[in-house]
Amino acid sequence: MDAAHHDGTAEPGFRGFTLLRDRMPAELVARVAARFPGTVQDHREGPAATGGQMAAPSMAAPSMADRVGGRAVETLLMERADRDRLRAAFDRGPFLTVELGEGADGAAAPLDDWSGAPAADHPDLPGFYLSLTTGTAYGLQCPVLICDELVRRGALDPQRRSNVELCLHEAVANAIVHGNLGLSSAVKGEPGGYRRFSEMMRDRLGDPAVMRRRLDIFCRWNERCIAIAVVDQGGGFDTELAPATTGNKARSGRGFVFMRTLASRVTVTDGGRCTVLQFDR
Amino acid sequence: MDFKTTTTGDATEVRLTGRLEFTDHDRLSDLVNLVEQSQARRFVLDLSGLEFIDSAGLGMLLILQDETETRNIKMIVRGPTGDVRRSIELARLTEIITVES
Repeated sequence: MDAAHHDGTAEPGFRGFTLLRDRMPAELVARVAARFPGTVQDHREGPAATGGQMAAPSMAAPSMADRVGGRAVETLLMERADRDRLRAAFDRGPFLTVELGEGADGAAAPLDDWSGAPAADHPDLPGFYLSLTTGTAYGLQCPVLICDELVRRGALDPQRRSNVELCLHEAVANAIVHGNLGLSSAVKGEPGGYRRFSEMMRDRLGDPAVMRRRLDIFCRWNERCIAIAVVDQGGGFDTELAPATTGNKARSGRGFVFMRTLASRVTVTDGGRCTVLQFDR
Repeated sequence: MDFKTTTTGDATEVRLTGRLEFTDHDRLSDLVNLVEQSQARRFVLDLSGLEFIDSAGLGMLLILQDETETRNIKMIVRGPTGDVRRSIELARLTEIITVES
């Protein structure tokens, strides 16, 4: 069962996502389409009107709005993301915010194609999507940024924020550490294992191929609930082993227990590469 | 996460600030070094200035508990508030770690 199918079944009120295939890096479109089938539409008409304001050069990011069948997608591409740039990006209210990263996703080509696209007015879509490289996501505390944005867009009640942020943090930490960095917590259970774990983490953080792996976060909501999908590009894991409970002395597994306790629903799909958190609003 | 250490009487007191999370495994080694070098009988972790702790951070508290226990040092977690207290209680760590308010 994949994330979109799950959401669509449980929450028919969610609006679909729309992507314009000819304007997105193909690899990225494929990834989004795989998560949310039926949301990618062919767009064979002419390009969007030119004009409008360009993004700041440091963002290297044209903003684009386009309409297909009354639906729209606003996208912001960034060469390199950090906290301030992401906040600035979110201020522009894009649907998709994508950090291209160095040498990833054939970054150079789409930048040319996208420059000059207008920052046109667009309907507020009930959702947004952020794609970061692992190198950026590590230490960025993107769950804080995501929750800030969910609150700002009125999707998340500030009173409920703390629980959502902890769950999202745990999902993101799992995606980075166990997913993209490929580290197992098993070593932590050995005597002095934390030192070994620390060394292994430093080792992986120094591997450019590992740091280029993506962390994708999809958020969408309707009047009743918020769904957040966290997707990594790691090796996955046996989802049967995700603990629903754990002993209070256990060295690991507590993150899943937090998620299962605090979220309305937790679904792991894609062989452990995608965790979907659902919260009542 | 940052920390400051003071030795008062028979206790080594460590005041943590910021966020204790999965990116802080290197800092854990620093804290364990403090335990290893400590001559005091009590090891007090002052969490009143800590803003956030995740499941990895809670695991670090348990490792410190083990490291102190094997050296007959009493570990005390002091003053967690807000989200930090919520996470500690959610994980039922109060059943195995001494937590003072």
